[in-house]
Amino acid sequence: MPRHPLGLLGRILLILLLTVAIEFGASTFLYERASRYSIEESDAHRLAEHLVIAEKLLSERPVAERSDAARELTTDRYIVRWSPTIPERPAFPPRQKRMEAQVTNWEKGLAASHLQLRLAPSTHGSVVAGEMRLADGSWIVFKTREAVQVWQFAIERTLVALVPALLLLTLGALLIRSTLLPLRKLVRAIGRVGSGDGVTVVEEEGTAEIRGLIHAFNGMQRRIHELIENRTQALAAVGHDLRTPLARLQLRLEDVRDEDSRRAMQDDVSEMDDMIASLLTFLKGEDDPEPAVAVDVAVMAATLVEDATDRGRDARYSGPQHLEWVARPSMLRRALSNLIENALHYGKSVCVTVAREEAELVFRIEDDGPGIPPAQIEEAMRPFVRLDVERGRNTKGLGLGLAIVQQAVALEKGRLTLANAERGGLIAEIRLPG
Amino acid sequence: MSAPVIVLVEDDPALRTLTARALQENGYSVRQAATAPEMWLAFENGPVDLVLLDIMLPGTSGIDLCREVRRKSDVPIIFVSAKGSEQDRVLGLELGADDYLGKPFSTRELIARIRAVLRRGGLERMAGGDRETQAHFDGWTVNFPRREVKSPSGAVVELTGAEFDLLAAFLGQPQRVIARERLVELSRVRLGDSSDRSVDVLVSRLRRKISAAGHQPPIGTVRGIGYIFRAEVTRS
Repeated sequence: MPRHPLGLLGRILLILLLTVAIEFGASTFLYERASRYSIEESDAHRLAEHLVIAEKLLSERPVAERSDAARELTTDRYIVRWSPTIPERPAFPPRQKRMEAQVTNWEKGLAASHLQLRLAPSTHGSVVAGEMRLADGSWIVFKTREAVQVWQFAIERTLVALVPALLLLTLGALLIRSTLLPLRKLVRAIGRVGSGDGVTVVEEEGTAEIRGLIHAFNGMQRRIHELIENRTQALAAVGHDLRTPLARLQLRLEDVRDEDSRRAMQDDVSEMDDMIASLLTFLKGEDDPEPAVAVDVAVMAATLVEDATDRGRDARYSGPQHLEWVARPSMLRRALSNLIENALHYGKSVCVTVAREEAELVFRIEDDGPGIPPAQIEEAMRPFVRLDVERGRNTKGLGLGLAIVQQAVALEKGRLTLANAERGGLIAEIRLPG
Repeated sequence: MSAPVIVLVEDDPALRTLTARALQENGYSVRQAATAPEMWLAFENGPVDLVLLDIMLPGTSGIDLCREVRRKSDVPIIFVSAKGSEQDRVLGLELGADDYLGKPFSTRELIARIRAVLRRGGLERMAGGDRETQAHFDGWTVNFPRREVKSPSGAVVELTGAEFDLLAAFLGQPQRVIARERLVELSRVRLGDSSDRSVDVLVSRLRRKISAAGHQPPIGTVRGIGYIFRAEVTRS
């Protein structure tokens, strides 16, 4: 449903318009409420009597004398004026119908006189003002001099004034929040970029500005992805291509007569081969994961241990003979193999444990080497990082070993932890969820 | 017996020359080809015992070429590839290649693989069998082209190359006592350094891997003579 997207400005104006409209409605309602104030019955009684007297006296006087007569009727309590025509009756402040009823209740005769009462502000509170019609169609205008006691006037007014304000505040906040929702989705998507989930296309929604932003973000993400993809492919191609000259070198070095040179060259070729293999594995793990199948992980771990013992290393396997799990076999094998090789590189012996703990599958690879300084554990898992370089030791490889393990474990949604054992040595642990 | 003839298909001239020389030094007769058409020409020049095929030839891909060769002939094929990925290996083997060799390889490795493939082919021809692809015993499945073993519940159980060859030897002669020396000979095809003792180690590892709870281990020991594969084997 392609709606025409409003601009951010339009959206906010709409919100303002809506809140103003509601404010208007609420005010109207509250002024209606405000006409229901009442005054003390004694005040109403006194006012009613005074009005009846004023009506009687003024009606009896000729028209020419009425203004003066009205002035005479002015006391220290009431101001009274006479008007030949209908005085202006403002809509604000609103009529106090309840007060009118209070007054006419004391003097029923006043009901026919079009009496209207209002609350008017004065220096010391609210005074009652109003007007009434005489029988000949002229008017009496009056006002109390002293403030009347208005029941709960201040507190209620403050409260009712607060209600729409709070309501509008909440409404405005909710509307602006929903306007900014697509922006928050975008922020979340940006936070995920580069975490290995591939491209997450964010749906284009919201106001025109935000749509534009999301569109630009999607484009940027796609371009970055393509760029990385191209680089990865180029790097992988170089890796493949290097293997042909390496194969020539391998066959040529077999002709070298000098035993020591040949062995050294063989080591070099093997090292280069290992580097290419780990590079290709690392690049491949990024974008072309193998499918997961049921695999006997106990046999897999035991096979790797046996491979190490066949090479004359001290490796032990501890765990069941069979344990079937759904995983990506060659990635997992590579991960375990890298951890075992690391263990044997830094230590003299390795113990590989496979166990099922709760719903998790646990591989624990323990060595008797020096461990890793705690501050460097995180660093050790980053690609192309070799701690040995800092520690002045010479090691083969590209520093991708643990990065490949991380990758394989992430594919299985598992966790890799490295920790130093109390008795010395490193414990690498892979936990895969069931 | 004349020297086995190997057709070597490789587009890199230097590597082709080096490989051809290594093969000739080990007693094979080599016909070289740089492209697919040259390979077909080489086939026309007389019987061929084995094809050594580079998977990334320009023009036709090695995978397609392998499929074509397999359609026309049963000649054993060994893939040579610089890709070295597991999926490639499995794909090649499923398309009918007999083995897979990653670059770079040593002469020793190359010759060992060729011997193993020629020997396997020879054994199968002696048995008069077609290329069977699967064998079953006690619920286990053995897939020969993929060199893969699956447990009764369907999980892949990893065997080393030597262990798989040993299992294949047992499956070829079920319910018959096989002398230890014969097993050494049969499984020596891999890297050529099996000793009597290591055959015993291999057998015990294999026995453990294909054991199942509640089942008698399919491989039994016959004291002083050798081993026997007790389970019934069916093929498909």
